[in-house]
Amino acid sequence: MKKVLAILLAGMMTATAFAGCGGSGDASSSGGSSNASGGSSAKASGGKVDEAMFGDETDITLKVWAPDKGVSLAKQHIEEFKKMYPNIKFKKIDVVAQGEGEAATQLVNDPNKAADVFSFPSDQLNKLDAAKCLSPVSKAFIEDVTATNAESTVKAATLKDSKSKEDVLYAYPETNDNGYYLVYDKKVVSDDNAKTLEGILKACKDAKKEFVMDCGNGFYSCTFAFTAGAVIDGFEEDNETQKFKEYDEDEAVDTLMAFAKLMKEYKGTWKSQDPAQIASGFKNGTLGAGVDGSWNSVADKETLGNDFGATKLPTINVNGKDKQLISMFGYKYLGVNAKTKFPRTAHILAYYLASEKCQQDRAEKLGWGPSNTKVSETEFVKNDVTLQAIAAQSQNAVAQVNIQGTFWQAMGTLGNEMMKDGWKPDDKAATKKLLETTISDVRDEG
Amino acid sequence: MIKSYKARRIISNTLIYIILAIMCLIWVSPFAYLLLHSFRGEGYVTVNYLIPHEFTFKNYIDLFLGTGGDASINFPRWFLNTLVVAIFSCVISTISVLAVSYSLSRLRFGARKKLMNVGMILGMFPGFMTMIAMYYLLDAMHLTRTLVALVICYSCGAGLGFQISKGFFDTIPRALDEAATIDGANKNQIFWKIILPMSKPIVVYTVLTSFIGPWCDFILAKIIMGDDRANYTVAIGLQAMTTNEFIQAYYKQYLAGSVCVAVPITILFLRMQKYYVEGVTAGGVKG
Repeated sequence: MKKVLAILLAGMMTATAFAGCGGSGDASSSGGSSNASGGSSAKASGGKVDEAMFGDETDITLKVWAPDKGVSLAKQHIEEFKKMYPNIKFKKIDVVAQGEGEAATQLVNDPNKAADVFSFPSDQLNKLDAAKCLSPVSKAFIEDVTATNAESTVKAATLKDSKSKEDVLYAYPETNDNGYYLVYDKKVVSDDNAKTLEGILKACKDAKKEFVMDCGNGFYSCTFAFTAGAVIDGFEEDNETQKFKEYDEDEAVDTLMAFAKLMKEYKGTWKSQDPAQIASGFKNGTLGAGVDGSWNSVADKETLGNDFGATKLPTINVNGKDKQLISMFGYKYLGVNAKTKFPRTAHILAYYLASEKCQQDRAEKLGWGPSNTKVSETEFVKNDVTLQAIAAQSQNAVAQVNIQGTFWQAMGTLGNEMMKDGWKPDDKAATKKLLETTISDVRDEG
Repeated sequence: MIKSYKARRIISNTLIYIILAIMCLIWVSPFAYLLLHSFRGEGYVTVNYLIPHEFTFKNYIDLFLGTGGDASINFPRWFLNTLVVAIFSCVISTISVLAVSYSLSRLRFGARKKLMNVGMILGMFPGFMTMIAMYYLLDAMHLTRTLVALVICYSCGAGLGFQISKGFFDTIPRALDEAATIDGANKNQIFWKIILPMSKPIVVYTVLTSFIGPWCDFILAKIIMGDDRANYTVAIGLQAMTTNEFIQAYYKQYLAGSVCVAVPITILFLRMQKYYVEGVTAGGVKG
């Protein structure tokens, strides 16, 4: 009896040793096999490929992760996908609801049980890459994906392979909208006022309403540093330390001082609160404007109805010059799990789901901002206020990729310090020191 | 300074009551907020006042009927899941805890002391240290993302928590066992017919603690369930409602859900309350 037990236990231990994300070897090989399958005939375009590309895969079983709101549309797309390839035998393609915010965590926890094709935001790319959980985009698709999607989205998903040092495209761009922008109540803030931060704050104060921008959360408060010129630019040679672009320190300090001055001048109007509060604020009538994320736009729009205004972030006046606020901006991608049992089909499906047609559907039905350049030019997208605001802000934004974990806390502290009661906006030395501390905290040099 | 005893007493009592009232207010306010705002009709997420302007049952109705929401938020299902897991793990772990305690208290066998020490030491490791290992063991048995896995995790190690009930059994005179043995009862009969009827407080205590566990556990359930929303328990389900994706539409339902979770535990507690205190203190007399 004891012996049986011991063997059983030992067996389980070995089984667990093989599980997990560790199997890095086959990550690239599965990608490779699907590349090879493309062969010479493969010239994919428009989401459709030659059936030969499926290779010998049959009785295909796949799992797709989509956020809740997108599940029914994804199911519809998959039905269409199956119809496109009548000679391929699909056993079952499931769509499971999984919030994008947790996609990487869930995937890394147990890649064998995770989805084969999944949607994730750009900031999880490094994590997924480090865990070797992503199967790179098939060579057959690279050309088409690169040509049809906005350059920034493709660039952000291109990482250097740790071994070969070559650029590898790791995922299929899905959206170009994961950021924040200005929403305002047209009754309070006029379209003209919405162009400058000063104008917004004044209009809000005059109407005794609040303006919400979260200064304690690095995702939003990095706007201060970015606008000041301290823009991140990937990693240093060591692949760990955050790199900043060169910037003019005097100007950066002046910009931060301008922000702090407005915070002080409009104390009580400028509230540092979670953007999840913004829709409530509009509903209660306490809010005039706010910096809100694209994921909340439906609620904001519902609340304000015809008074809903959305535009890119405003400008701020620094030494008489209007400076555009620079924000953090991310994208969403469709990734293929490196552990998938049907790599060829998974890639073909991801390619289809990221295609122009699917992006068009998502823009119209879910309001997701497309990364596909053709879809961005369509009438529908052009006429959608929110999508236009997002698109405009994306021109003034830093991509949310290659960001070190130390970044968020340090940027949050920067915002909090400036928002603090005792902070003196005119104190040049203190502001300079604050900026230096922030940057050295991000670079973890403390 | 103040001579009169009465005046001194009044002053000190007032002070004490003021302090207690403040502490009580602080302690009660989250619950009051939860309850009040679970009936709030207006607004989306939080509002900057305490008393809602508009009271409604809509949040509760929406929560249980799932009207106007996303398909994967299914609170009734989660509630049922948790209830089933709680009942099963409660029954299994109660029996196993009591059986272990009884045998350690009454039977004499080799390595008894050593086993008790090992149990004690194992109990000192924080539970989440083994969670990843547990996940992969369950995975090897193809049990992840199932409710069975939760029942196994919650109840199989329960026997290690024998200390308090063993202490209680130790206080029951051995003479009773001996008398029963003379009358022809075996150990099994003694346990069920003599000891258990006399140990109501400790049985109740064990039932309560093992029933509450599944309702409160978050980390383990989260790891085991992964993306299978249909098998979520209330703890992870409620957390899912507060993620970016859902918070706008579900915050008020989340508050309502938090109130509902308290219901089964409260009912069980009220019914068994009078034994509870007795059980905790009785076990501590002799360890």
